[in-house]
Amino acid sequence: MQLINTLLGGFSVGMIYAAFALALVLIWQSTRIVNFAQAPMAMITTFIALKVIESGASYWIGFTVALVAGLVLGALVERLVIRYVDHDNHINPVILTLGLFIVLHALAAIVFGSSFRSFPAAFDLTGIKVGGETLALTPFSIFTILVVVAVMAALRLLFMKTDLGLTMRATAFNREVASVLGVKVNRALTLGWALAALVGSLSGLLIAGGGLVHPAYMDGVVVYGFVAAVLGGLDSPAGAVVGGLVMGIVLALVSGYLGSGLVPLAALIVLVVVLLVRPGGLFSTTKERTV
Amino acid sequence: MSRNHLRAALAASTAAVVLAGCGAGGRDASSGGDSEGGDTTGVTDTTISVGTHQPLTGVAAPGYSEINTGMKAYFDYVNEAGGIHGRKLELTVKDDGYNPTNTSKVVDELVLKDNVFAILGGLGTPTHTAVVDFLNKEEVPDLFVSSGAQLWGNDPEARPWTFGWQPDYEIEGKIMGQWIKENKPNAKVGLFLQGDELGGDGEKGLRQYVDDQIVERVEYASGNTDIGPQISKLKASGADLVVGFNTPSYTALSQLTSMKLGYDPTWIYTNVGSDPKLAGELLSTFSKGKVKGGGALDGAMTTEYIPGVGEESPWVDLWEKVWKEQGGKGELTNYRVYGMSQAYLFASALQASGKDLTRERIVDVIEKDAKNWPGPNLAPFRYSADSHLGISGMRMAEIKGLKTTPLTDVLVTDIGDAEITKDETDVAAVAPPKDGLPDVEVLK
Repeated sequence: MQLINTLLGGFSVGMIYAAFALALVLIWQSTRIVNFAQAPMAMITTFIALKVIESGASYWIGFTVALVAGLVLGALVERLVIRYVDHDNHINPVILTLGLFIVLHALAAIVFGSSFRSFPAAFDLTGIKVGGETLALTPFSIFTILVVVAVMAALRLLFMKTDLGLTMRATAFNREVASVLGVKVNRALTLGWALAALVGSLSGLLIAGGGLVHPAYMDGVVVYGFVAAVLGGLDSPAGAVVGGLVMGIVLALVSGYLGSGLVPLAALIVLVVVLLVRPGGLFSTTKERTV
Repeated sequence: MSRNHLRAALAASTAAVVLAGCGAGGRDASSGGDSEGGDTTGVTDTTISVGTHQPLTGVAAPGYSEINTGMKAYFDYVNEAGGIHGRKLELTVKDDGYNPTNTSKVVDELVLKDNVFAILGGLGTPTHTAVVDFLNKEEVPDLFVSSGAQLWGNDPEARPWTFGWQPDYEIEGKIMGQWIKENKPNAKVGLFLQGDELGGDGEKGLRQYVDDQIVERVEYASGNTDIGPQISKLKASGADLVVGFNTPSYTALSQLTSMKLGYDPTWIYTNVGSDPKLAGELLSTFSKGKVKGGGALDGAMTTEYIPGVGEESPWVDLWEKVWKEQGGKGELTNYRVYGMSQAYLFASALQASGKDLTRERIVDVIEKDAKNWPGPNLAPFRYSADSHLGISGMRMAEIKGLKTTPLTDVLVTDIGDAEITKDETDVAAVAPPKDGLPDVEVLK
C-alpha cells in the first residue's frame, strides 16, 4: 500500500514537473534559452490568483486570471528584456534569466509578503477510497492530471495542425530562412514566450493547490523541471513529459524509501548521469548542436 | 588567469580587508568598552541596547516572526514605566531568514557595528549554532536562546556566556514518552521528525520510555514540503499514535497530507510546532473550508511550559494588558507570549544585576539566582555552574479549539536518565507583581 501511494503521489507531482519541463522546452526550442525565471514568473501569477480569490472571487476566476497574467507576463519579458540581449552569445540570455529570477523573487516578497500562505484547491483533497483503502489520489490530483494532458494535446494540435504553429516551428528551426519566407519572426518569438509562460503558470497553480505558497515555493520545481527537460532531451516536448513523470516517481521513491533529505541530491545525480551517458536526453531526435 | 582578472581579484580582496577592518574598528570606538568592573558595551546611563536574530522571512517565519513583536511590546511597557534602574531598553531585530549564513552576518553587525550589550532570544538551532562560538569568543552575553537544543546549556565551561531558555527537546520527549507508556501502553507509536536536533533529541527522550512501542520513524528535510511519502510510510506501519517533533508549517502539512491519505492517528506535537491558531489558519483556506480554522488540531496533544493565550492565568492577563497598551497590529498570540516571557526574564536579570551593569555581572547573576525568580515559566530554570539549560519541565495538554486543557501536573526532569518527578516548587502558582514589572532583589 505504501508503494502504491508513493507511486500515485509521485505520478501526480510528476505531471506538474512535466508541465513545467514543457514550458522550458517551448522556450528552448524557439530561442535556445533555458528560462530559469520561469519559476518566479509562475510564482507571481499564482500570487495574483490568490489575491483574486481572497478578494472574494471564485477559484476559477482566480485560475483564469493567473493564466492570462502568465500569458501577458511571458510576452512582456520577451518583448522588454530578452529581445535586447545578444543571442549569439549563448550564456548571456541564460545569465539574464537568472538575474530576472532574483529580481522577481525580491519584487514578490515586497508586493505579496514573504510569509507562507495556504492556497485553495478546486476539488476535494481527501483521497479516493477503494475497497476500504484510501489511495493517494485525490479529486484534485485527477484534475491536475487531466488538465496537463489536455494542455499537452492542445499544444500538439497547435504546433502540428495550424498555420500559426507551423510559423512558430519554422522560426525555431531557422530564424533567417523563416523571415525570408515571410514569417513575422519577432511576433512568433513573443507568442512562444507567452505560451510557455502560460504553461508555466498552470504548473504553478497546480502545485500550489491545497498547499502552501511563498516566494520560493517554485524554486524546487525549476530544478526538478529542468532535470526532467534535460532527461527528455531539451528539444522534445514528449520527452519533457516522460522526463517529468520519471522525475516525479523517482523522487517520491527516494523520499519515501531513502530519506527526504536526499531528494535534491537524487535529482542532481539523475542530471549528471543523463549528461554523461546520453547528453541528448532519452528522446532527442535531432543531433545536439555544438555551441 | 589574465592580468585583468588578477587585478580584479586583488581589488576585491583589498576591499574585503578594508571592510573587515572598519567592522573591527567600530568596537573600540564604542560607548562603553572595558571599565574596571567589567565590560559595559551597549550600556549607557539611560539605555541598554540588545539585539536578536529572528526569521522574519522564509520557511520558519510563520509564527516565529511574531516573537520579536512580543519582546518589543514588553520592552516598551517597561520603558513606559521608567525602565530598569533608570535605563530604557532598546531592541534591534535582524532578519536572518532562518539561514545560518545570514545569521553570522547579522550577528556580526549587532556585535561589532551596533555594539549591543547582549543577544536576547536568538532563534533557531542551525542558525544559532553558527554564532554561538563567536559570541562566546567575543564574551557577549548570549541569553535565552529560542531553541530547545542542548548545545546552549550542557557545557557551561565551553560556552559560559550562553544560556538556554525553553525545555530541551530531550526532556520534552521523555515527558511525552512516560505519558504514552502510562496512558497508551498498547498504542503503536510512529515518529514524525525534522531531520536535525529537534527530531533527534526528541526521539532520544521518547525511546527511553517507549522504545518497544515505536513501530516506525520518518524524517523530513525542512524546506521540502512534499511529505506524502513520509506519511504513507507511517500509515503503512499501522501506527495509531504519531509523535511529531516538527515546526508549525509541518504541523499543517502533516494534517493536510494525512487527510489526503485518509490516515487518522492520534497526534502529539512538540510544543515548538503545536500552535493551534497558526495551524488552523494555514489549514483553513485548503479545500474550501473542509478543515475548520479553529478546531484544526482538536484532540491532538502537546506540552506546555508557559501559560498560553486563552488560559486562565494572571500572567496571560498581564500579557493581554501589555499587548493592548504597547502592541502593534494583530492580536496576542502564543508566539508573542513567548517573546514577552523571554523579555520578562531579561528584565528580571537586569533588575537583579543592580545599577552597575556589566556583561560579566548579568551572566553571573543569571547563573546564581535566576532559578529563584518568579516568572511565567511553569517549572524553575536549571541554571547553575554546571548547567545553563533552561526550564526544567512541562505538562502534557490536550488541544481543543484554540485552547489547551492540562492532562498532567507540571513534571520536571533533566537530560540523560534523570527521573521524571512532579514539580514540588510553587513556581507555577506565583502571580506577577501588580505593576507587571519584575520584583526581584539585587543580588549581593
